Amino acid sequence: MEDYKFLFKVVLVGNAGVGKTCLVRRFTQGLFPPGQGATIGVDFMIKTVEVDGEKVKLQIWDTAGQERFRSITQSYYRSAHALILVYDISCQPTFDCLPDWLREIEEYANNKVLRILVGNKTDREDREIPKHIGEDFAQRHGMYFLETSAKEAENVERLFMEIAVELMEQAKCKELPKYDGSLGPINGKTTSVGDGSCCLRS
Amino acid sequence: MSLSLLLEKYDVSTEEGLQKALSEVEKEESEVDEALSGVLSRACMLEDKLRTASQAYTKLSEVKADAQVAADMVDRTAELARDVSAKVRQLDLARSRVAECQRRVHDLIDLQLCSAGVEAAIKANDYETGAGHVSRFLSMDPGSVAAARARGAADPRDAMTRAANTLREHIVRRFEDAAQKNDDENVDKLFKLFPQIGRAEEGVRLLAKYLATKLGVEIRRLSVVAEGEGAVFADAMTRVLEAAAAAAARAAALAALAAPGLLPAALAALQPQVCAGVRRVSGALLRAAARPASALQAEPALAELALAHSTIQLYFAFLTRRTQADAASLPEAAKQAALDAVEKLIAECDLTRTAQDILGHYLELEKFFLEESVNKALKMATPQPGSTTSSLVDDVFFIARKVIRRSISTGSVEGACVVLNEVSAVLERDVTAVLRRRLRAAPPDPLPLPAPPAPRAPRLALDLTALDLTADLAHALNKDVEAQRLLFLAHLAEAEAGAEWAARLAEEAVRGAGGAARGPTDTHKVESCAAGLGAAAAALALAAEQGVAAVRAGLAPRLALWADALVQPAPLAEELEDDADAFPQALEQFSECARQHLPQHTVDALLLAVVTDVATRAEARILHHHYDREGGLAAERRCRRAAGRAGGGGARERAARLAQAASLLALERPQHAADVLRPPRLPPARVRDILARRTDFKIEDIKKLKL
Repeated sequence: MEDYKFLFKVVLVGNAGVGKTCLVRRFTQGLFPPGQGATIGVDFMIKTVEVDGEKVKLQIWDTAGQERFRSITQSYYRSAHALILVYDISCQPTFDCLPDWLREIEEYANNKVLRILVGNKTDREDREIPKHIGEDFAQRHGMYFLETSAKEAENVERLFMEIAVELMEQAKCKELPKYDGSLGPINGKTTSVGDGSCCLRS
Repeated sequence: MSLSLLLEKYDVSTEEGLQKALSEVEKEESEVDEALSGVLSRACMLEDKLRTASQAYTKLSEVKADAQVAADMVDRTAELARDVSAKVRQLDLARSRVAECQRRVHDLIDLQLCSAGVEAAIKANDYETGAGHVSRFLSMDPGSVAAARARGAADPRDAMTRAANTLREHIVRRFEDAAQKNDDENVDKLFKLFPQIGRAEEGVRLLAKYLATKLGVEIRRLSVVAEGEGAVFADAMTRVLEAAAAAAARAAALAALAAPGLLPAALAALQPQVCAGVRRVSGALLRAAARPASALQAEPALAELALAHSTIQLYFAFLTRRTQADAASLPEAAKQAALDAVEKLIAECDLTRTAQDILGHYLELEKFFLEESVNKALKMATPQPGSTTSSLVDDVFFIARKVIRRSISTGSVEGACVVLNEVSAVLERDVTAVLRRRLRAAPPDPLPLPAPPAPRAPRLALDLTALDLTADLAHALNKDVEAQRLLFLAHLAEAEAGAEWAARLAEEAVRGAGGAARGPTDTHKVESCAAGLGAAAAALALAAEQGVAAVRAGLAPRLALWADALVQPAPLAEELEDDADAFPQALEQFSECARQHLPQHTVDALLLAVVTDVATRAEARILHHHYDREGGLAAERRCRRAAGRAGGGGARERAARLAQAASLLALERPQHAADVLRPPRLPPARVRDILARRTDFKIEDIKKLKL
């Protein structure tokens, strides 16, 4: 059995090419793969971080931005503890699509899910969306906001660490799912209830 | 003997002494004489030996001179041998040079022959011989040609290259002719000549082009979907991909003859035809599968989509396997290059996109099917008047298992994961919600716990019988109540079963999808999605727990009666034994009935709750009665029997405490209280309160007790 106290599912969504995979790679492997191909379906990575001396396992689901994978990606929203909605600060259309993404989130995700808006690619010179526009949007829709650069490793660590801290606080106050190390039914625990090993319920 | 010694030894002053000394001297003289003559006799022998030695010395110097001569001769011989071996080496070199010269001469002769032979072969349409000449030319030592040129002869390669080019043109033309005529035999024969004339790649290219054209025609014929029953689209797709696989296998077999590592190029030439054919079939399939009116109608389309997707996956696996086999003999770097090339081909071809479209459509349709079917099952499970059984959970899990198995049959881990997510969502959200609603409140008397026997006190006896009669009457008159009761128990058992079902499905899914997993990440993905079913299992178990709580609430009035009956001060003198055993017997009946409807662990949980509940209430009830010794004894006996029957854990502890409290009521005198108290002991205040219920104990005595 692995040694961790909390397990959180983090799902990244947003238009194709905004840098979701690069953010995940930067965080989980510490590298920036140039010429990253389009993600097919959903990719899956794991990183264990430490918050206040406690091990927190982050299960990161990196979804494909392309429309034709929507029927795959949508099914991951429901069990997510945190949703990162990413746009490209140098590409107006990716920002204009945010309301569509929010509609998807409303429809498929848990209404208590932690939502974070991320403006990626701050290393680019040709910024099209000023920071305050992004901030305003996030505030209007009750989301956290952060600007990042996967290329320059700026704010990437912070993004995921803050999510881990926030989710852990939520878990402690509201008694959100507290994983005791077992991955649900596969490792034995099947019908026991009240030990909090179940998922987030709306 | 020296003179001084002689003088010391003999007294020379006397004559006798002198005489003795003289004789001594004389004796010595004769000894010396004897020794001298001995020495002299050996002197001639020595002289003889000396002579012999001097003679031998002269001989030795002669031997030395001989040895010197011999050494000189050996030296000379060695020198000679060295000279000989150097000459032999020179001879060898000369011979090998001669051989090389001969080969070159042969090469040069052949070169002439080759160029002449090629021309002759072309004229005679004997391309095999021509190609043989070119092959010979290509295998020639480049030094021969260079040597020929160095002597100022015209470059023999020019003629040869011209001839080879002409041959190539002829072969290509003939190949194209054969290709146009669909003459497979000649195509194969001519293809085999290309490697000989050093044009393996061109040969593979031409062959692939030929096979692609042929395949295109065949696929256009096969991709026409026949109207009819069954999986017509998936069948058409299978036929198309089988034709493609046959072409690929032929290309692989021929390319292996030419040169290993050329297969990816041939496959790349075939792929567009395959992509176009499959795209045509899948277009028709997707149009036919769009928007079915009901779950029932969606099923054939779902089967087709799953089959079509899995066939495409198998085709890709086939391409990878063939390339691996083709490149097996190559060095590591070239092998990797071939595999990368085919991987790139698969990733970038339109067939991959088609597969993704098919999977996307399949998933949408599967979600529709799942939700529709489950909704229908839930609707059908709406309780009808008089229905006593439910197949809600069985139906839902039958659907869930079917859907999950079908998703695994697509051959896509991605698809299986999505379906697992959707199934978990439906179970946790819809199915659990219905069960929770049904299990929120239990119907009256959900499980029959017999009423306590009527005690002697006449008023209470009348009341209880009346109550029991009313209940019996209600049961008899209102079958609906009975049906409701049975249905509730059925739902409770279902919720328990559902939790186990969900866990089992998760295990099955992980096992089933393991085959399609292409690495540990895929396996983790499936496991993580299957864990969603664990969450559904937990939700169902919670619903079952809620049902158990509802049963307890339904039983509460009867439990209160039992609690009261256990600690009744009134003894039933005649049937004391029966009276004492009434509660254990009632529990036995209760659990027997419960076992008919519910799984064992639920029955155990219920029994525990019942015993704990009755024991707690009974202890409290003691403080509402007054006892004489006889009444106390009766209560003590009843409680002790109840404690004896209590199951394990918390129930036993709780019942033991009640038995302890009741035994205080049966004491002869309060001073004996300490004898019956055992750990865990009742608190002293409670002990005094209970003792005070005995009308014959004096308060002062109780107060004096040291507890």
